[in-house]
Amino acid sequence: MGTRSKILIIDDEEVVADSCTQILQDGNCEVSAAPDGARGLRLAQEFHPDLVFVDLKMPGMSGFEVLEKLRALDPTIVAIVITGFATVSSAVESMKHGAFDFLPKPFTPDELRLITRRGLEKRALVLETMALRREKEMLREHFAAIVSHELKSPLNAVQQNLFALAVELASRLTEDQRTRLERCSSRVNDLLKLIHTWLRVMSTDIEKVRDNFIPTALPSVIAKAVEVVQPEATRKEVDIRTDIQTPLARVQGDEGTLVEAVVNILGNAVKYSRIGSPVRVTARPEEDHLVISVADTGVGISKEDLPRIFEDFYRGEPGNSAQPGSGLGLALTRRIIEVHDGSVSVESELGKGSTFTIRLPALDQPHLQTDPLAESQTGGI
Amino acid sequence: MNSGKRLLIIDDDPDFVAGVKSILETANYAVDVAYNPKDGFAALQAKPYDLLLLDIMMGRGAEGVMIARKMRKDPKLRELPVLIITGIREQIAFLFPGGPVHPRFVEVDELVEKPVEPKLLLERVSALLQAAQAKKESAA
Repeated sequence: MGTRSKILIIDDEEVVADSCTQILQDGNCEVSAAPDGARGLRLAQEFHPDLVFVDLKMPGMSGFEVLEKLRALDPTIVAIVITGFATVSSAVESMKHGAFDFLPKPFTPDELRLITRRGLEKRALVLETMALRREKEMLREHFAAIVSHELKSPLNAVQQNLFALAVELASRLTEDQRTRLERCSSRVNDLLKLIHTWLRVMSTDIEKVRDNFIPTALPSVIAKAVEVVQPEATRKEVDIRTDIQTPLARVQGDEGTLVEAVVNILGNAVKYSRIGSPVRVTARPEEDHLVISVADTGVGISKEDLPRIFEDFYRGEPGNSAQPGSGLGLALTRRIIEVHDGSVSVESELGKGSTFTIRLPALDQPHLQTDPLAESQTGGI
Repeated sequence: MNSGKRLLIIDDDPDFVAGVKSILETANYAVDVAYNPKDGFAALQAKPYDLLLLDIMMGRGAEGVMIARKMRKDPKLRELPVLIITGIREQIAFLFPGGPVHPRFVEVDELVEKPVEPKLLLERVSALLQAAQAKKESAA
């Protein structure tokens, strides 16, 4: 540590406090002393000590209580207990209350210096660990912002010009040229989405969404997911049919990520459906759970692939059904659903289609609500 | 019908700007460009504009935010409508942790994500111009 280390001694015996101060006070250490717990804690708030010696047996507040309160004040402060009645049990008890070490009275100046040095080393370590942890967290959070900017900027510029060219050349392009321009645009768009998904997986601490949990209505989640997938479904003439049993209880969750989870599954259902075939989305209660299922009659998943589709970056065997994707959508879905204390499963047969089932714990009694699907279904078709 | 409306784009990516500028010019807007915040702010003070299209992530960070802050302090620029064009929404959330995804930078503003489809771009520009006009008339 660059600056002087600060040591606080809380002991009712004046002679102990004085001699400790004499022994420890030098160019490297600044020492303060307090005769009881209350005054010691007050001093700790202004003095910001690195290391605190606490006498166990003092009038007023006990040493244990001082330890607890010190820890509440600043958990990084290193505390060492001093006591006249050195027993193993009081030592153990001190450690339980957060003390780093234990110094029995009487002690020699060298013993005091030694334990002080160890305590200060511990303190340096604690501070370093904290700084590293903070740095790691910052790096991860910055990662998304920095990398996405560097990766996406060139693609954004390309896409913007493709958009502009399509408008400017609209009347001059042949049908084939127009199609190729649209393909370029759509490939750039796939790439942008891919980068977005990867970054999302790498930079997000999924556990954090728990902080945003509120009672959430599944019909609204499903309606929003359908809205996202609808343009692609319309393009493929896939009819998304929803059947939601009402009234339906709510779930404790975060609507944004739940929509994302359903979009990933529903998007796959549309992606792997044959042109003109339907995708069926249902929601219903099942004992104390709510079950959302998404069934398609598309290409299906092979027995070999089935157990692995929820793994990161798993893409399945490339075959004639190969579709662009990140290999992360279902893995992300699984994580989102698990954070909601739910589960996701799949049944599938090659050539016949797949049914994905999301199971979430129901929160309360069924809620009567207006049908939010009515609005989204008119939007896309 | 858009002739006479003068727009300024502040964005440090010349290729991206070329794409946006040509869409706006095809729709008959007069468009000026600044490729960094400093030139951008100088342009805003030198000439009256009807609308600003502003990138957020420029230079070493969110220098676009700086421009919005300066504009808010300037009585002449405070009412100028701004269309924020940004790479991704997360960046906004990242810059203003805990805040709404779309912070109100200035009196009249709106946010679109890059890349922006021509139809959406023109809709937003025209809506912002109308909103600013309506605000001016109600104040008068």
